[in-house]
Amino acid sequence: METTYLILNAIVAGLLLGGLYAAMASGVSISFGMLDVTNIAHPAFIILGSYIAYIVNSNWGFDPIVTSFVVSPLFYLLGLLLYRVYYYAFERKGQQSLRSLAFFFGILFITEVVLILIFGVDYRLVSAAYTEKTIQIAQYAMTPDSTLHVDLPLRMVVPFVVSMVMIFALNWFLSHTFFGRAVLAVAQDQFALRLMGVDPVKIKERAFGLSLAIAGVAGALLIVVQPVQPSIGRDFIGLVFAVCVLGGMGSIKGAVVGAMILGLAESFTSTFAGPSWAPAVSFGLLLLAVAFKPSGLFGR
Amino acid sequence: MANSIKVTDLCAGYGAVQVLNSVSLEVRDGETVTMLGTNGNGKSTLIKSIMGIVKPISGKVEAEIDGVTHNLIGMEPEQIVRLGIALVPEGRRLFPKLTVEENLLLGAYRGEARARIAENLDFCYQAFSRLAERRNQLAGSMSGGEQQMVALARAVMTSPKILLIDEPSVGLAPILVSRTIEKIGELKDKFKLTVLMAEQNFHQAVKIADRGYVIVHGHIEFEGRRDEMANNDMIKKLYLGI
Repeated sequence: METTYLILNAIVAGLLLGGLYAAMASGVSISFGMLDVTNIAHPAFIILGSYIAYIVNSNWGFDPIVTSFVVSPLFYLLGLLLYRVYYYAFERKGQQSLRSLAFFFGILFITEVVLILIFGVDYRLVSAAYTEKTIQIAQYAMTPDSTLHVDLPLRMVVPFVVSMVMIFALNWFLSHTFFGRAVLAVAQDQFALRLMGVDPVKIKERAFGLSLAIAGVAGALLIVVQPVQPSIGRDFIGLVFAVCVLGGMGSIKGAVVGAMILGLAESFTSTFAGPSWAPAVSFGLLLLAVAFKPSGLFGR
Repeated sequence: MANSIKVTDLCAGYGAVQVLNSVSLEVRDGETVTMLGTNGNGKSTLIKSIMGIVKPISGKVEAEIDGVTHNLIGMEPEQIVRLGIALVPEGRRLFPKLTVEENLLLGAYRGEARARIAENLDFCYQAFSRLAERRNQLAGSMSGGEQQMVALARAVMTSPKILLIDEPSVGLAPILVSRTIEKIGELKDKFKLTVLMAEQNFHQAVKIADRGYVIVHGHIEFEGRRDEMANNDMIKKLYLGI
């Protein structure tokens, strides 16, 4: 019975964690998967989102997640600007691959160092009504003194729900609007898109802005789930790209499923083998997926 | 309102290689004009120059849309498309990982096309019943003939006044070639289009063409009406082997 509850808890924790990962990876699914822009600085913008949520929350007590949606237009504008620089400096000259990788690495480190200079390397966290509460479900009395139960910590549940709603909306937007369909098309054939009367650079610019807006929100979700310090962004580079590749490049649905799989894998390994094995199992899964289905689970 | 294209003394090429040598060509309102010529003679380059894809060295390209004349030199392809000129490109260039319907809806991106989206979509599904059946299939998984239909339908979805078609018959079985050419004729009648079609297949192209040009080594070697084309010695030599 104890094992059953251990497994149940691992599943629930894994799915909740997967919800967070999905929010962090869906922006990369747009920039890397659909626009072919290898934005490895994406986690840096997530951390920036975390710190904005932290500043507003610790100074004025506003809800971190609501704050992140309010400031998301700023992230969008930042994205427009960044893509412009990227486009004129690299993409237009056909030098995307290696040089732009260095460019985004630079952005990652600059953001990180600026945050360290301002806030130091201490872990920061936010507080809201839901961050301290845990709901217990499926209670089972072993003995009169000890009960088994499944934990639903609200600091995980709230980000999970926000993430799922946001991604659902994003997916709907991409498949049902003219702009969304153009985003899906832009990586497939830019020339053909021009023949539809669409300027592919404008589409990519706006879509990149959208991916950064999502990064900002994902940052707030992250700092609700766990304390954040400037350099943990780097730990997530591998994770978010792994989620995109596992799920299938450019598929939002795939990114969600990939995030859930990695969340579950991490949760199960932490429960049964110890947390230090978690990355090994996650990336082992990725290797298997790439070996047997290189296009990813939902790659079309 | 008249829709026409006029190319005057056009020279164009790629880098140091000049492909078109002082080419003049005209497509008048409501005409279907075919441009004949074998591979490498400059048909595609001419079409690409009209669409702003190849930047000409010298010469004029003008289009009259609803009676207003536009100078196309220096315009980007997407701007030219927004004027009301659509291109069905060589090799079709569909979005392979989008469904047939998503491909068609992308065609309706420009403002004028959005206003008529339901009407145009209905028409496309009527004209190409096969596409209606397969509207949710990925475009990349369809056969060559079906893909050519999607490409034509997608161009129609842009609500064009002038339609340019680059080698519609390439890679298609003979039966599909004649069906494709018939569909082009149908589309033209329905939408009162002005059509310029580059084609290698003389027998098929001449079925729907009002006039034709033969382009050889970047020069226009022949220009004439349909009946003149069928009786021309050079065309006989080039295409009919007589």
